[in-house]
Amino acid sequence: MPSFKKTAAIAALLTSVSALIPGAAFAAESKSFVVGWFSHATNNTDDDCGPGGPNPTVQDQYIKDLKDLGMSGEEIEALIKERDANEEGPNRFAEIIRTRGRVDGKPVNPYMYPSTVKDPEWKQLVGDKAYGFDLDNKGPDQPGSFTNVDTKQKGIDHKLYRALGCSRPFRGSLEGRPTYWDWLWGQLKDSQPAWIVTITGEDLSKDGEVTITFDRALEFLSSNVDGTPRADVTYRIDPDPRSHNEMKGKIENGVVTGSMNGMFRMFQNPLGMPEFRLHDAKFDFKIRRDGTADGFIGGYQPWADLYFAFASGGQAIEQCIVGDIPGLYYLLKKNADAFPDAKTGVNSAISAAYYMEAVPAFAVPAADARYNRVAGN
Amino acid sequence: MVFARSTFVALAAAAALAACSQSAPPEKTAAAASADLNAPSQLVMRRLTGEQYKNVMTDVFGPTIDFGGRFEPDMRTDGLLAIGSSHIGVTAAGMEQYDAMSRTIARQIVDPAHRDMMLSCKPKDVKAADDACVRQIIDEVGLLLYRRPLTDAERDAFVTAARLATDKTQDFYTGLSLSLASMMSSPKFLFRAETATPVRGKAGEYQLDAYSTASRLSFFLWNSGPDATLMQAAAKGELSSPRGIAKQVDRMLASPRVESGVRAFFVDFLGFDEFENVTKDTALFPKFSTQAASDAQEQTLRTIIDVVLTNKGDYRDIFTTRKTFLTKELGAIYQVPVVSYLPNGSPDAWQPYEFSADDNRAGIMTHMSFTALHSPSGRGSAVLRGKAVREVLLCQKVPAPPGDVNFDLINDTTNYRTARDRLAAHTREPMCAGCHKITDPMGLALENFDAAGAWRTTEGGVTLDTSGAVDGKTFTGPADLGKVLASMPAATSCVANRMLGYALGRAPDRAQISSLEKSFATAGYRIPALMRLIATSESFTRVKPEAAPTQTASVPAHATN
Repeated sequence: MPSFKKTAAIAALLTSVSALIPGAAFAAESKSFVVGWFSHATNNTDDDCGPGGPNPTVQDQYIKDLKDLGMSGEEIEALIKERDANEEGPNRFAEIIRTRGRVDGKPVNPYMYPSTVKDPEWKQLVGDKAYGFDLDNKGPDQPGSFTNVDTKQKGIDHKLYRALGCSRPFRGSLEGRPTYWDWLWGQLKDSQPAWIVTITGEDLSKDGEVTITFDRALEFLSSNVDGTPRADVTYRIDPDPRSHNEMKGKIENGVVTGSMNGMFRMFQNPLGMPEFRLHDAKFDFKIRRDGTADGFIGGYQPWADLYFAFASGGQAIEQCIVGDIPGLYYLLKKNADAFPDAKTGVNSAISAAYYMEAVPAFAVPAADARYNRVAGN
Repeated sequence: MVFARSTFVALAAAAALAACSQSAPPEKTAAAASADLNAPSQLVMRRLTGEQYKNVMTDVFGPTIDFGGRFEPDMRTDGLLAIGSSHIGVTAAGMEQYDAMSRTIARQIVDPAHRDMMLSCKPKDVKAADDACVRQIIDEVGLLLYRRPLTDAERDAFVTAARLATDKTQDFYTGLSLSLASMMSSPKFLFRAETATPVRGKAGEYQLDAYSTASRLSFFLWNSGPDATLMQAAAKGELSSPRGIAKQVDRMLASPRVESGVRAFFVDFLGFDEFENVTKDTALFPKFSTQAASDAQEQTLRTIIDVVLTNKGDYRDIFTTRKTFLTKELGAIYQVPVVSYLPNGSPDAWQPYEFSADDNRAGIMTHMSFTALHSPSGRGSAVLRGKAVREVLLCQKVPAPPGDVNFDLINDTTNYRTARDRLAAHTREPMCAGCHKITDPMGLALENFDAAGAWRTTEGGVTLDTSGAVDGKTFTGPADLGKVLASMPAATSCVANRMLGYALGRAPDRAQISSLEKSFATAGYRIPALMRLIATSESFTRVKPEAAPTQTASVPAHATN
């Protein structure tokens, strides 16, 4: 029978979390949260895409794509009839769509090589209110920036929202989740490592300086019987330093804000990207009275990461979830607003804000002999 | 087919319920003449519980057997399923299940993957009958399943059936499996029928015969059938003497298998079978899951085993101990860190955990297995929890509410924000006050736990007051209530009462409990000592003829076919 040293052992484990956090050695208090929802921050309204509303559905776009390839209306109609008569099997419609890119007149994969497809010139958002941060600190006069929905702060940089805001799967609000993110989260939350946010400070009930860490857990998110994220579950922090991020910040009236220079990185993130990256991230997180928390993390995101997350699913994902993938490529590229490539001058990153909801969790280091013995590493 | 109840079993007359008073009266037990632990008990015939059925099969055929069926529900009588098991039969639907399970098990025993390991002989020709081989197997298996040697007639019937089936199917193992299945669905296996024999030199006095004694000992101490050593002791006549019984009892109590017996008793004592009916409103208690409910029972059982067996501690410590065992699932509900070091997605691993001295979780009453079990689906219930403390842990009967009681005030959460306020308003009705004085103080002490067992400090925005007093002893909250309970003589007499009833299959009489309670106290309230006291008492083996409802008293002879 194991001895009863659990309380002391857990205390030691929790304490040693602080050891992961340089500068937190004297911290008196830590609160950890597991991220239970994560998507780009949206605030769509009925009229934010101008006349005609959002971009066409993918099926309508396909017809345009076929016309761009030089097919007549009759040919397209025949192709669609043929497809509908053979929904289960291979069909020419699908084949043409998934090779609709052209290089020297030869068909190529439009998802891997989106610039080989003619720009469908999709709409981008015309609204002026969004969530996010003034990432470039240029204030209210920057063209294309937003006004913060809650704080009314001007100069909010969230070009990702402008780029995706009129594409149907990405439209929504903080409460009404965008279809794409909702689907993706549902697919991955039960298998991808959970994300852990830990706030450490002298006394988190008072205003003061804090250290904010983002880590990946070795476990995936635990859910309640109704599918909501389960609070008060214990997660082990992945010792891999590549998914350890640290920000300096403060807590004021229960709101935690912070920022970091350099690249915020989370490997194998729950959003379909091999790595979630943000240049010069900023953080704004409200701890609620019921113990839950919600807020935003923003920064300049390498837009190719995001594009290939969409494109990696190919036609199946394009048709079912994402919508016209080359169209998204052009939207992201046109709205990219930072980190120009030294050779081409094309901006490699897009300002972005992501919204997250979190519930309280216990975080302990994974570096434990018992774990190592079981896992064999 | 329905098996009639044994005619030599008489139902105990129900005692009239006393009206509620300041202090709950002890639960009345079966009326009997003055007696103590030397007084004879009654012959009973008990249906194996599902767990006992599985344990026996596992003992005989190994842990790889798949049962593939379900068991009929048991019935609680005088606070125990173990007593109810002697008042129930088998319905036609239940018999179909037993039949299906026995065929499933028999097929596995004779299949090529198992037969060499499970069967002690091979036929000369697998396409032909082999009476000698069948006889050998039937004798060996029959001894363990029937818990006594087979009679010649029983053995011959099984051998003949196997031969006829083999002749017809040209397959020895099909024939054998038919006879094995028949044995496994026989009432002689499914029911523990006890038989008596006259006590030598004492006219008119009876005791259990050797094999019935072996069974009673084994199911009481191990919750399974007798092992080979016990059967050999029975065959040699060693179980007819107190010394021989004590030797076996000491051997069995020293075995790790006693944990199975202690677990089975506490599952019955604490009413964990009721968890099958426990549901919670998922909108209000989303952490409550079937896994959490299962873990909650296991948590309490592990805690009890740790106190009473591993540490050989005082039974009363189960009401105060801060040491327990948790899984991640329970850690989320108790809001404490519990780390699992198994690969992601593995079943939760159990971890020892000790609540700190200033934590209000101490003792099994603060476990989810108690607070969630005794709550409706949508809210906690001070009344149900208080009633459960009285009835389950103190063996005190709380009368049911009158039929015309008005529950309006109990449900008025607008004007009365806390359960304490609502119950105070409700109990202004004199007809309600008496019983609520018995249940509510202890139930209100557990109001810090919601219907799913999670900690809370407020209700309706009002800070909860969980202090109170019971039987003149004050407490400040749930952990303190455990101390009060541990100090109550009713707590120890209750477990002694229930364990004696559990062992005998009948509610014991007051004199037996009184005698046992004194010895239990002398033994420092150690559960193994209590088990030994019972198993070595004359009440355990001595039996008396009992007047059948319409016939004169009779003690059945050794079981016949």
